[in-house]
Amino acid sequence: MSEKILARAVATTAIAFLMTVGAVGSVHHAQAQGEPTRGGTVQLAVTPEPPGLMLGLMQNGPTQMIAGNIYESLLRYDTDLTPQPSLAESWEISDDELTYTFKLRENVKWHDGEDFTADDVMFSLDVFLREVHPRWRPTVNAQVASIEKTGDYEIQITLNEPFEPLLLSFEVGTTPMIPRHIYEGTDYRANPMNATPIGTGPMKFVEWSRGSYVHLQRFEDYYLDNQPYIDEVYYRFIPDAASRAVAYETGTVDVLTGGSVEIFDVPRLAALPNTCVTTDGWEIFSPHAWVALNVREGALAEKSFRQGLMHAIDREFARDVVWSGYGTIANSPISSRTRFHSEDLPEYAYDPDRARELIAESGYDGETLEFLVLPYGETWTRWAEATRQNLEDVGVSVNLVTTDVAGWSERVGNFNFQMTHNFLYQYGDPALGVSRSYVSTNIVEGNPFSNVMGYANEEVDRLFAEAANAPAEERPALYQEVQEILVDELPVLWMVEMDFPTVYRCDLQDFITTAIGVNDAFRDAWLQQ
Amino acid sequence: MHLLRFIGGRLIKGVIVLIAIATLNFFLIRAAPGDPASVMAGEAGAADAEFLRQLREQFGLDRPLYEQLWIYLTDILTLDLGFSYRQGRPVIELIADRLPATLLLTGAAFVFSLVLGVILGVLAARRAGKWSDSAITTGALFFYAMPLFWIALMSQIIFSLWLGWLPNVGFETIGAGYTGLRRALDIGTHLILPATTLGLFFTALYARMMRAAMLEISGADFVKTARAKGVHEGRIVRRHIARNAILPVVTLAGLQAGQIVGGAVLTETVFGWPGIGRLMFEALAQRDYQVLLGVFFVSSAMVVLFNLITDVVYRVADPRIEVGR
Amino acid sequence: MSFFKRFARNKGALIGLIILLLVVLAAILAPYFYPTSPWRMVTRPFLPPMAMDGYWLGTDALGRDVASGVMHGARVSLLIGLVSTVTALLIGVPIGALAGYFGGLIDDALMRFTEFFQTIPAFALAIVIVAILQPSLYSIVLAIAIVSWPPVARLVRGEVLSLRSREYVQAAVVIGQSTPRIIFTQVLPNTIAPITVMASLMVASAILLESALSFLGLGDPNMMTWGYMIGAGRTRLIAAWWISFFPGVAIFLTVLALNLVGEGLNDALNPRLSQEGG
Repeated sequence: MSEKILARAVATTAIAFLMTVGAVGSVHHAQAQGEPTRGGTVQLAVTPEPPGLMLGLMQNGPTQMIAGNIYESLLRYDTDLTPQPSLAESWEISDDELTYTFKLRENVKWHDGEDFTADDVMFSLDVFLREVHPRWRPTVNAQVASIEKTGDYEIQITLNEPFEPLLLSFEVGTTPMIPRHIYEGTDYRANPMNATPIGTGPMKFVEWSRGSYVHLQRFEDYYLDNQPYIDEVYYRFIPDAASRAVAYETGTVDVLTGGSVEIFDVPRLAALPNTCVTTDGWEIFSPHAWVALNVREGALAEKSFRQGLMHAIDREFARDVVWSGYGTIANSPISSRTRFHSEDLPEYAYDPDRARELIAESGYDGETLEFLVLPYGETWTRWAEATRQNLEDVGVSVNLVTTDVAGWSERVGNFNFQMTHNFLYQYGDPALGVSRSYVSTNIVEGNPFSNVMGYANEEVDRLFAEAANAPAEERPALYQEVQEILVDELPVLWMVEMDFPTVYRCDLQDFITTAIGVNDAFRDAWLQQ
Repeated sequence: MHLLRFIGGRLIKGVIVLIAIATLNFFLIRAAPGDPASVMAGEAGAADAEFLRQLREQFGLDRPLYEQLWIYLTDILTLDLGFSYRQGRPVIELIADRLPATLLLTGAAFVFSLVLGVILGVLAARRAGKWSDSAITTGALFFYAMPLFWIALMSQIIFSLWLGWLPNVGFETIGAGYTGLRRALDIGTHLILPATTLGLFFTALYARMMRAAMLEISGADFVKTARAKGVHEGRIVRRHIARNAILPVVTLAGLQAGQIVGGAVLTETVFGWPGIGRLMFEALAQRDYQVLLGVFFVSSAMVVLFNLITDVVYRVADPRIEVGR
Repeated sequence: MSFFKRFARNKGALIGLIILLLVVLAAILAPYFYPTSPWRMVTRPFLPPMAMDGYWLGTDALGRDVASGVMHGARVSLLIGLVSTVTALLIGVPIGALAGYFGGLIDDALMRFTEFFQTIPAFALAIVIVAILQPSLYSIVLAIAIVSWPPVARLVRGEVLSLRSREYVQAAVVIGQSTPRIIFTQVLPNTIAPITVMASLMVASAILLESALSFLGLGDPNMMTWGYMIGAGRTRLIAAWWISFFPGVAIFLTVLALNLVGEGLNDALNPRLSQEGG
């Protein structure tokens, strides 16, 4: 029996099964009912426990989820990636696209009572984050000519060349505002205030009971009248996924943040009373999953072999069965949720026969390839197993290797792998999150989010560089070109644009309203009483 | 006097063992691929060479290995267990935070299993050969053979989810602000499931051991003599048999008590109990060397201590028994 | 009374033996009942047991046959249990024998070495070893063996110590037999009984240990073991209980059987006990 027919059968019956169980694609959006009411406590499950909450120094997922409510940046973004005011109440871009002027809010206080001024912004962008933040650093060092304070509540950023994505860089995880009066002149990483983070955000830090929870409380002097509405927030650390699901069911937690619930469980939980599920709140991140290939040597160095692999992997099965229907098939290095994504690209349908042809063409000698399993949970392990089966079915011999996060980071960062799953964030614009994986200048050891494949193509380098600084109307064409090249050469095999559904009680209103969702949810969220 | 010299000698040997363990662990842990910086990079979703370099410098990992070892050993001698890379706090503080939770859990499990196990063992031995003996021993075996995490998950589902009698995760109800007796009771209800889960496994061991030891001794000469003299059976059981049978149980109990860290990892994980076993497991995944070494050190120290206590109890209970050298 | 008669007197041990034989049979016959790899995605995922003809134990998250996994898993789980136990014996028996026979400084040194290993919490050490070597069949077997050998060494040492002063051993020494010969032909054969009893229990705990490691995500991803299946199914425990349940039952029965057999062996090889106990 052709694998194709069998796979189809499995996939369609899987969908049918899931639909009867509950909720494939069923995304309840809580319709806001009436006026926001003040009061209430919200408990969220977050995993794993973050190493720290000082958002300037570390950007782990859980750190951003919690500390994104403690700190703020100049801007926020709605789910269309349109910039909204945050600490900057308005901004202007000069006609030559080189000068950005931000007018800051004037009645903002830090959690310790000090005033927030342009001095804090200068310190954060020009000094602190320039030194320690791995994502602001390339932008500020390569693109920014100068940052100036032009008033007590106004700053100006001048660029070397036009750089359209700059306006997407003021999200709280990328450029959190740091209190100058606490950090200037100190050893940042050893500063004792790191244990009790001070920000301007709606929630202030109260307590961290290690191994158990983080407790935040409404900041009474927040600059928005009557906000935040919620009194107390607890982030609970429950190490076991099954226990987290039980915790939601028994009412111990009210929110299962994206990534804290195994995707298998979402359809079942979605069917519970007073339960809403949304895939919104990840638009800036747009996690993009692929199989990274070490193209330096062996069978993987042959383009036809890589194209064969792409035809051999059943991505619909992956999306429907492994990811329980969540996600979108990815056909390009640029996510469909990011700007400049092209629909006009060659496609690689699931076709084991074509796969076998291409693999034979490439001269594959039967070598066993090692597939490093991404150590981020059960679903990735299942996916690795399914991928192995797909490849074995077309005659490619694959061995799975498991490791933990440290081992994986080390191996991938040092190019000691052949195939592995990886997923990276797009950060809204190809210049911010996409190009780093494909330009030859980013082949650096020790960093698993660089060009670990060892892929080098001058044309691709040139196109990405040009497109970053091109005027707005020229960028689409340039990105179209580079997508065409990459989709032909396949340095990685793009699999799925991932969704990380958030499961929460429907009476939590206005909860996921921004492009980073849970991370800065508590400015606007309120509990239906 | 003999006893004091014995204790002194064992303590000195204990210290030497601990230092050897510390050194072994130091190298063992660094043999694992990756380091705390690569873990943080992996979790951040973005990193560059400078970020990793800064982290490594902060953690002191850029110093030569022998220098790191020397610093570590000299710190240990002053009971300074170092600084956690990941959590930015002294290791001693982290352990002191978590150790009481584990002690509470393993202590409760220990008492539960010892009491229940001894009672069941005595009952089974008294009715040896009858069906109630088989029932008890098979029942004990049941809980011994079932994987611990299996029992943990099942009990969570049954008692917390289906019946709603007991909370399923955590140390206490968060955000409720209980104090005093109310808090103690709250912690108590959270303790029931994890402690009995952990304890059921050992109950089986103690029951079987007690039964076997009692059967062996009740056939011994001095017991036969007592019976021949017409001493009341109950008295024989209490004074002669049980007191002697308890000795191997004491050994086992000492061994189990010393295994505080390892045994609790699974239970703590499933029940979200903020203990030292979980701390160790997470520290391993995070390559938080200092914390991991600190936890091993503390638990090794406890094992050495409990071995010593066990041997002392043995000596005191029955000076005829020769204990080690 | 012959060994087998004594063994058979213990009903529990008989039951255990039967169960064990069934498990071994399942392991041997797995390729005949289920010729394709248990990793193959064969049909709809999350089929409950008996829902479809031929899939009596249901299917898992990727549509793989649970029954096939359980039978194939018997081979690997038993294999891991046996190999790690044998390895632990290969380490522990010589150390214990040498310590017990020679006494003195050698005994002291070897026993300190053994104590050293017992001081490190067993499960924690196993986790660290597997994490260092990265999860694979070899690292798991090695880890289990390393944490299991100290009790063997202690047991053998104790036995050898008491045997050393027996008459026939003394006689052999007087005759001038070489030490290795004495150890192998006079002393060790008489330790076989307690070692066997202990070994049966060790296989059981090796299987439990492997399943615990797999539960924590430290299993070998290329081997379908019972522990691996439980780990893979535990996040679906509430809605698809059968994925973890049946391998769990398999572990439970095997461990139970091994313990019952071990007890039977104990009773059979220690005739004193089986006559006592009123």
